[in-house]
Amino acid sequence: MKPSRKSPLALAAAVAGSIALVATGCAADASKDAQPASADNPVTLTVTTFGTQGLDPLYEKYQKENPGITIEATNIDTGGNALTDWKTKQAAGAGLPDVQAVEEGWLGQVMSVADSFTDLREFGANEVAGDWVDWKVKQATDPEGRVIGYGTDIGPMGICFNAKLFKDAGMPSEREEVAELLGGDDATWEDFFKAGNEYVKKTDKAFYDQSGFVWNSMVNQLDEGYYKADGSLNIEGNAELRERWDLLSDAASKGLSANQTQWDWGKGQAFVDGSFAVMPCPGWMLGTVKGQVEGAGGDSSAGWDFADVFPGGAANWGGSFLTVPTTSEHPAEAAKLAQYLTSASSQATSFEEAGTFPSNLEAQKSEAVTGTNEMSEFFNNAPVGEILGNRANGVQAQYKGPQDSVIQEQVFGPAIKAIDAGSDSETAWNKALSTLQELEIK
Amino acid sequence: MPLMSTTTHDAPEQDRDASAPSPQPQRWIKGNNAPAGAKPAETRDERKTRRRHLRGRWDFKYSPYLYISPFFILFGLVGLFPLIYTFVVSINDWDLLGGAGAWIGLENYKAELTSPLFWNSLFNTFSIFLLSAIPQLVIATFIAAMLDQNIRAKTFWRMSVLVPYVVTPVAVTLIFSSAFDEQYGVLNNLLAAVNIDPIAWKTEVFPSHMAIATMVNWRWTGYNALILLAAMQAVPRELHESAAIDGAGVIRRFFSITLPSIRPTMIFVIITATIGGLQIFTEPKLFNPSSSVPGGPDRQYQTTVLYLWDLAFNRGDFGRASAVAWILFLIIIVIGVINFLISGSIASSADKKGAGSTGRTRAARRAAARAEAKAAKPANGTQSGSAANE
Repeated sequence: MKPSRKSPLALAAAVAGSIALVATGCAADASKDAQPASADNPVTLTVTTFGTQGLDPLYEKYQKENPGITIEATNIDTGGNALTDWKTKQAAGAGLPDVQAVEEGWLGQVMSVADSFTDLREFGANEVAGDWVDWKVKQATDPEGRVIGYGTDIGPMGICFNAKLFKDAGMPSEREEVAELLGGDDATWEDFFKAGNEYVKKTDKAFYDQSGFVWNSMVNQLDEGYYKADGSLNIEGNAELRERWDLLSDAASKGLSANQTQWDWGKGQAFVDGSFAVMPCPGWMLGTVKGQVEGAGGDSSAGWDFADVFPGGAANWGGSFLTVPTTSEHPAEAAKLAQYLTSASSQATSFEEAGTFPSNLEAQKSEAVTGTNEMSEFFNNAPVGEILGNRANGVQAQYKGPQDSVIQEQVFGPAIKAIDAGSDSETAWNKALSTLQELEIK
Repeated sequence: MPLMSTTTHDAPEQDRDASAPSPQPQRWIKGNNAPAGAKPAETRDERKTRRRHLRGRWDFKYSPYLYISPFFILFGLVGLFPLIYTFVVSINDWDLLGGAGAWIGLENYKAELTSPLFWNSLFNTFSIFLLSAIPQLVIATFIAAMLDQNIRAKTFWRMSVLVPYVVTPVAVTLIFSSAFDEQYGVLNNLLAAVNIDPIAWKTEVFPSHMAIATMVNWRWTGYNALILLAAMQAVPRELHESAAIDGAGVIRRFFSITLPSIRPTMIFVIITATIGGLQIFTEPKLFNPSSSVPGGPDRQYQTTVLYLWDLAFNRGDFGRASAVAWILFLIIIVIGVINFLISGSIASSADKKGAGSTGRTRAARRAAARAEAKAAKPANGTQSGSAANE
């Protein structure tokens, strides 16, 4: 064998090639934006959001109004995947965007690393704090009083109901009548289940889709949920929680729950085949209901409507914040963008775009939110914006502990499944407690 | 051409340079005239040649390492480093978000080995693995044997069995997940049509394992069939022919000739199936994406890798997740060693039995001997004649 002679150039290329394989990372410009962005000082801001937050048209507008700013937006399909994405990058300490959207459900985890988010008070958060519903700002404030996020949407809860099914059952089916039937202004869960029992008796069909959403609402509206405000676990021996658990299992054992798979509903079939008649609906769920019905080939004639009532007092489920991780190279520009994206006019635009109900007080009252739109047309011309505004009154910010979402999903998720499948209250509750032990949540 | 060996590799350089107009170039010998300027009058040409020689020697000596280096560099970066780093994480109390905590030795391993959830995941993994690997290999062997026959449109059939492998597992899982849906799935609808009670595919342990094994089989059977087919085609045809002459039927020939001959390939397929089977993740993860707990509400089909993922990214306990990763790594190594020993003993027992080194079984050797004997005889029959002509 004759060794081939290689030109030095080829050798150099080979070396360079293998180095290129090894080399990772790219040079980041280290300017910690001393002066604001302009055409002469271009700045690129990265934004990561999830689900449908209705921000796309706002990026365009902001870039036009602020020469020199380029926005690179990434949208992740679901909140769950976005959480994994954020956690991975947070754990690695690299790759976080300039503006990161975080969901209410992650707050417990976010707050455990609160100091890795920029304190927005440095960039004028105090001056605009009054623009939002007060509990939203409270949620985004860490124990030291630092404000780490601007509120986008909130999830005040009302009741979605199927007017057609109510009518077929010989029960009141007008929006106001249903609200009255479920207990009116001071509705309780007892009222809700009473109406459910009546419906089940008359139709021999289930009342709500599955117990998970009902349970989430029941827990979310308490002053203290799975954790006490001081951060200690609050499940075993929590009489308030247990009382609600017993109510719920009693209802499930009487056939009120359709035992549907949540977030699946037979690819939407259950929304059009009369499997169930009501569902607890935060604002953003309206879009989900519409999507499910349409996915199963139905439209507004499927009979869904939205009632201005919620059992057990005001409740909120979900909603997001825009934060600025401290890894951002341009915290001032990023904070400015986050503030813009959550301003009154922006939130009104997002509502029109995606149906996310504003946390900004001015936006809540705007014509875009209270007027008719695609969503209200789908829900039998219900004034959804107005109803959601009413439902947002009296919501309390509940402390979320670091393992809140794990408790909700892994401890109570299976227990809820068990009561929907016919297990009795005591057994299912003990099952939840033993899972809590197994997972070693303290 | 002078005889070449690795130690005289600068000889050809010299040959080639002989055509150059310069005087016979001096060979550079280590320790002799290495430093530049040691010889007073070195011409430009000489220097050039010497450098070229130096480069040639380096080229010869080091470039092979350079060519294979990308693999080792990449392996070091994405294989070895994570392996070691995972071990470091596993002996610390490490929160995903909070980062490294205290050094706690083997506490994480102890906690996992006493955790019922870990053992549950291991049980699920092995159950799904056995439910998938065994039928998969049996069916793959059968398909390969069919494709090995003289059939029409060979390429078409061979390509067809590979199609499921080309489809991404995510897409496969979405389709199967919908088919196995308990209330709306095709399968339960079909069962209902013939008055059989619906099966709880997503909530009961055994049915869910069956469903996931089905997805794995769907994806991998064709792939394994093609590998086995390649091995079958390498089995000498005369073995089959002479066995056929001796009156061995199709089935007898399959068990006595085909199967023993493809044993090394079979072992390869079994080992890769084992490693893949123990690391199964996508199918159980997406089987019921709306389940609040990954792997079923009661962890009915939570495999070990899925458990590990849940531990790291949902529960945030990076230390314990790393311990699980290492335990799984060790289990796979143990199973790999067992596989290796079994395959080694099979190979050596075959060697002992046969004088030949081909590792054929007695039946195969006998058939081969007859084939030779027949071929040696003058053609006296139409059947043996055709064998002799080959």
